[in-house]
Amino acid sequence: MKGPLAQTGILLVGTYVFLKFILPLVTAPLPASLIFLYVALTVAAAMIFYTMSGAGLEAFMGPIGRFLTGEGQKGVAATARVMVFVLFPLLVGWQTYTKLAPSDVPPPENRTIHPAPPGEFVGLSNPFPKTQENVMMGKGLYAAFCSPCHGANFDGKGPASVGFNPPPANFSDPGTIAQLQESYLFWRIKKGGVGLPVEGMPWKSAMPRWEAELPDEWIWKIIMGEYDGAGQSPRTWEEEE
Amino acid sequence: MGRTTRINVTLGTILMMMGFGTAWVAASDPPPAGETGSVAVRLYLTEGALPTDDPNAAAWNSIQPSAFKLAPQVHWPDRIQAVTVQSVRVRGMHNGRDLAVMLEYDDPSEDAADAAALEFMVGDTKAHFAHGQEMLQVEGGPVNIWYWKKANGRATDMSAKGFQTLRAQERQDVSATGAWRDGTWRVVFSRSLQTGDEADVQITPGEWRNVAFAFWDGQLVDGVEKEKGSQKAVSSWWYIRAEPPPDNSIYGYVVLGMAIAAGFEFFLVRKIRKGNQA
Repeated sequence: MKGPLAQTGILLVGTYVFLKFILPLVTAPLPASLIFLYVALTVAAAMIFYTMSGAGLEAFMGPIGRFLTGEGQKGVAATARVMVFVLFPLLVGWQTYTKLAPSDVPPPENRTIHPAPPGEFVGLSNPFPKTQENVMMGKGLYAAFCSPCHGANFDGKGPASVGFNPPPANFSDPGTIAQLQESYLFWRIKKGGVGLPVEGMPWKSAMPRWEAELPDEWIWKIIMGEYDGAGQSPRTWEEEE
Repeated sequence: MGRTTRINVTLGTILMMMGFGTAWVAASDPPPAGETGSVAVRLYLTEGALPTDDPNAAAWNSIQPSAFKLAPQVHWPDRIQAVTVQSVRVRGMHNGRDLAVMLEYDDPSEDAADAAALEFMVGDTKAHFAHGQEMLQVEGGPVNIWYWKKANGRATDMSAKGFQTLRAQERQDVSATGAWRDGTWRVVFSRSLQTGDEADVQITPGEWRNVAFAFWDGQLVDGVEKEKGSQKAVSSWWYIRAEPPPDNSIYGYVVLGMAIAAGFEFFLVRKIRKGNQA
């Protein structure tokens, strides 16, 4: 089977294999919806190309038309035709069922992990100098108050972390405190989970509202100890410019 | 092949490919990765009486449990750093009128002060899992707590909206019974799906509700209970849903969809054949 139709088929298979299996070797895997979009664009491009002339259109569409009408078909082609005609309604039926069948999956939760802080907690700087003594005190306070959940290794894997949903933050992950300013941490520690805005789902967070138990000075020193222990640096305004 | 035929074949091919493409996309995107453990409790629909009085009834064993890990309560004082009950297996059923939920968990000793509780958000208002504690930027609602203690031998239907507000309700709607065997508690809570009490969670089949769990090991150590009050094993909010009755209208739509697809094929082929004759 040669001609435009076969070429298009080979092109489509090649495009799919490339996007699905070869591209992920060098970058993140593409979502199925994006692969579908690219494959659909390839189909559209091939159809435009082959149908520019009447002869091309005939060469492209002729086999499809003959296949569908079953003109002079025998053997494998005839069987394939019948199978396509039987499978298509079954596929539609199956799709209808999966769309309508009651779902056992709870509603999706799009929780924002680092929502915007209230204005009063933007741009505060740590009033305590980063001395060896202050960092040590911060680490001591961290060990006493924070490590049960956030872990002695600052990795969010403390003995009390299992079972919480959302899990305690992993400070050694470059996506957490390294992306945040000290004043953001001050807000999160002081006001706790209940201080989150609605997009942060405050009703699920087990983070204590530490302002009820710890003075501000301790909180600032804990922040210092946290960055030092996790081997991260706070995000600063200078870096953003 | 005539011009009309070509247009028809083109149109038909595009439509068919769109159909296949949509089906393929819907089928091939993997479901989002879940956390370790379950995210929801399913109350299976059954007929007749529920095994509310017998935690060891055979009916319970036929149900696939959901499993949830538990954490020591470290959210507010008095905290506790280690707890006895590490996880809970939850089974549930309903018969359209009443529901029964069985909590099964490991606790090496049977003690008078052993206790277990279920907590629910009431209505659609979000409530903090710590007794509906006040939230600063979100107007929170109350929670409904079903509390069972071995020494009491029954359940208490309670309400809370914030710390120090936990109270037994005037109207008691919940029953519970527990059985301990070989280091495992099985506690069955039961209630009507609907109570008509606005302080209660109302369970409507098919609708998702939020649920959380708490457990106390009442073992006496030096004459003092190991866990009591705020010192307990807790879970975060998870989901619970009573299975809705089967909806047979779905099959009607499936047949309709298949008929439309078959009709489409028939008309497509007829169009092409007519085009060829022209």
